[in-house]
Amino acid sequence: MKRWSWILIVVLLLTTVLTACGGKQEAQTEKIRLALILPSTIDDMAWSQSMYEGVMAVQKEMGEDKMEVAVSERLGNPVDAGAAIRQYADQGYNIIIAHGSQYQNVLEEIAPDYPDVSFAYGTGYEAHDNIFAYDPQAQEGAYLQGIIAGMMTKSNIIGVVGPVEAGDAIKYNYGFQQGVEAVNPDAEVRIAYTGSFGDIAKAAELAKAHMDAGADFLTGTAQQVVGAINAAKEHGGVYWLSNDMDQSSLAPETVISAQVYHWEKVVQQIIDAHQKGETGKHIVLSFANGALELKYNPQLESQIPQEVKDAVEQAKQQIIDGTLTVKLPEN
Amino acid sequence: MIDLITSLLAITMRAGASLVYATVGEIYTERSGILNLGLEGMMLMGAVSSFAVAYYTGSLVLAVLMAMLVGGLLALTHAFLTVTMRANQVVSGLSITLFGSGLASFLGQRLGPAENSHYLVGLVGPKFTPIAVPGLSQLPLVGPIFNQDPLTYILYLLVPAAWFYLYKTRAGLELRAVGENPRTADAMGVDVVKVRYLYTTIGGMLTGLGGAHLSLAYTPGWSENITGGRGWIVIALVIFAMWNPARAVLGALLFGGINAVQFRLQAAGTNIPAAYLNMLPYLTTIVVLVAMTWWEALSKRIGAPAALGKPYMREEK
Repeated sequence: MKRWSWILIVVLLLTTVLTACGGKQEAQTEKIRLALILPSTIDDMAWSQSMYEGVMAVQKEMGEDKMEVAVSERLGNPVDAGAAIRQYADQGYNIIIAHGSQYQNVLEEIAPDYPDVSFAYGTGYEAHDNIFAYDPQAQEGAYLQGIIAGMMTKSNIIGVVGPVEAGDAIKYNYGFQQGVEAVNPDAEVRIAYTGSFGDIAKAAELAKAHMDAGADFLTGTAQQVVGAINAAKEHGGVYWLSNDMDQSSLAPETVISAQVYHWEKVVQQIIDAHQKGETGKHIVLSFANGALELKYNPQLESQIPQEVKDAVEQAKQQIIDGTLTVKLPEN
Repeated sequence: MIDLITSLLAITMRAGASLVYATVGEIYTERSGILNLGLEGMMLMGAVSSFAVAYYTGSLVLAVLMAMLVGGLLALTHAFLTVTMRANQVVSGLSITLFGSGLASFLGQRLGPAENSHYLVGLVGPKFTPIAVPGLSQLPLVGPIFNQDPLTYILYLLVPAAWFYLYKTRAGLELRAVGENPRTADAMGVDVVKVRYLYTTIGGMLTGLGGAHLSLAYTPGWSENITGGRGWIVIALVIFAMWNPARAVLGALLFGGINAVQFRLQAAGTNIPAAYLNMLPYLTTIVVLVAMTWWEALSKRIGAPAALGKPYMREEK
């Protein structure tokens, strides 16, 4: 009797592992085989989904016979991710992208064992041998969105729904603050953190707290913002500035603009470098190289005054030609 | 000030409802001597299945029934493994959580309509909206109590009923007896296996409902990991409540209330670092947990069912 229960438990666990890690395998001809390790899921409407769509765009461009893609989701914990990464490397994948800064150490550990495989992670800047590091300059688009919020706010209170006070979120919030200050020194940017990346309900609560405190512009990063955007949509009368990808499909009347990451350019660069046999590079995503883009929601674009668009355009050009540098916090 | 407290209460109640459902469910499960750590998985499955049903059928009643069915089925699996097969309850519960959360995110990417790449995320379905009781909802301080969604109103009946059933009825006494001393209960003529199956399943149904409250009322819509670890908080709240359904409300309100307060403080532009404020609800839970356990120990009234976590075998000594 007892033995049966253990077998059942093992079956349950195995099913879980299979649903969690079950990759999508496509065409079996040679050429590029790319594995993608994601901290959340391909439908998170943010960080992971934007990268997944970037990879899929490259695959579409190259053709499924030239490029095979496997995806593993929900591997936010670097130790679990390490096991998956090794497995992909053993199975002969040529390029393995671990989409998060937390994977840096685990890649340093694994990469020397597989010199023919190219590994990539980001946000990060330490690249060497067969490790690529990609580095979105999130503060640049944040600055531009800060201009929009700063010029358009009526209450002079702008709320930030942050995840955890670290890395990318600090970069984004710091740039955003500078953008607001540049055009409207009277406006107050209130930066708050939920203490989690994926807690949708908390992000919603925090957004409500901001709106009750009078904020009429909101922004934020990480996959949890889905909750905050929904809360803003329900509340009405406020605008959301989105990051990672265009999130306007969630709330077409709330999301006014978006900083979009063009991951397909990063993925293409890694593939090209790999095929030429080059060593790891530090790949920057910026407005200057076109990997970052500021998009207005076409449905709301008419509500943005021309002077705001002009100011954004001017700052964007200055960022591109280098006359304006959005500062980063000193470490 | 009064406005602030009123709005805090409103947020606290909304945040607490799903916790209360799952806590009452788990209290009933644990009272029968079964520890079910599968809460997180059952809540996620309740959330995803109820949202999918609501989206396709437009019926919130069907959606709620579906959440209860799914939660109940997962709990039934747990009961089968732990009562009939006498498997380790911790291992079985954890595997339910792993299985449930993995399956929920899998379904979230498959059940959606084709035009949304088969994803459920980002879809708008029917939802429970707050219904204000005329007059009462305008009262200062307590007004928010009378401006809630229907699932929360049901709790106003469920919690007292759960308390009354557990402490004032014969069936409740039998349930407690099974959790305290199954051998004696068996000798009294109580069917231990039946009781454990029944209340584990009921607990799962309530937990699934807690998940449905998240995706149908609190943050309407499906998104990956919508529970955000609430299933684990519930396990602490059960101890906090000393396995008493009435106290479950206090725990959920305290936890949700402090969370609401710290978000208000941040949104008001305080200088206190966010990390300390984020810590507050958890810190308070630990402090109150220790204080209460200590007090209970002093007054020799520990609430944990004595047979919690132990399989029952009639023939064994």
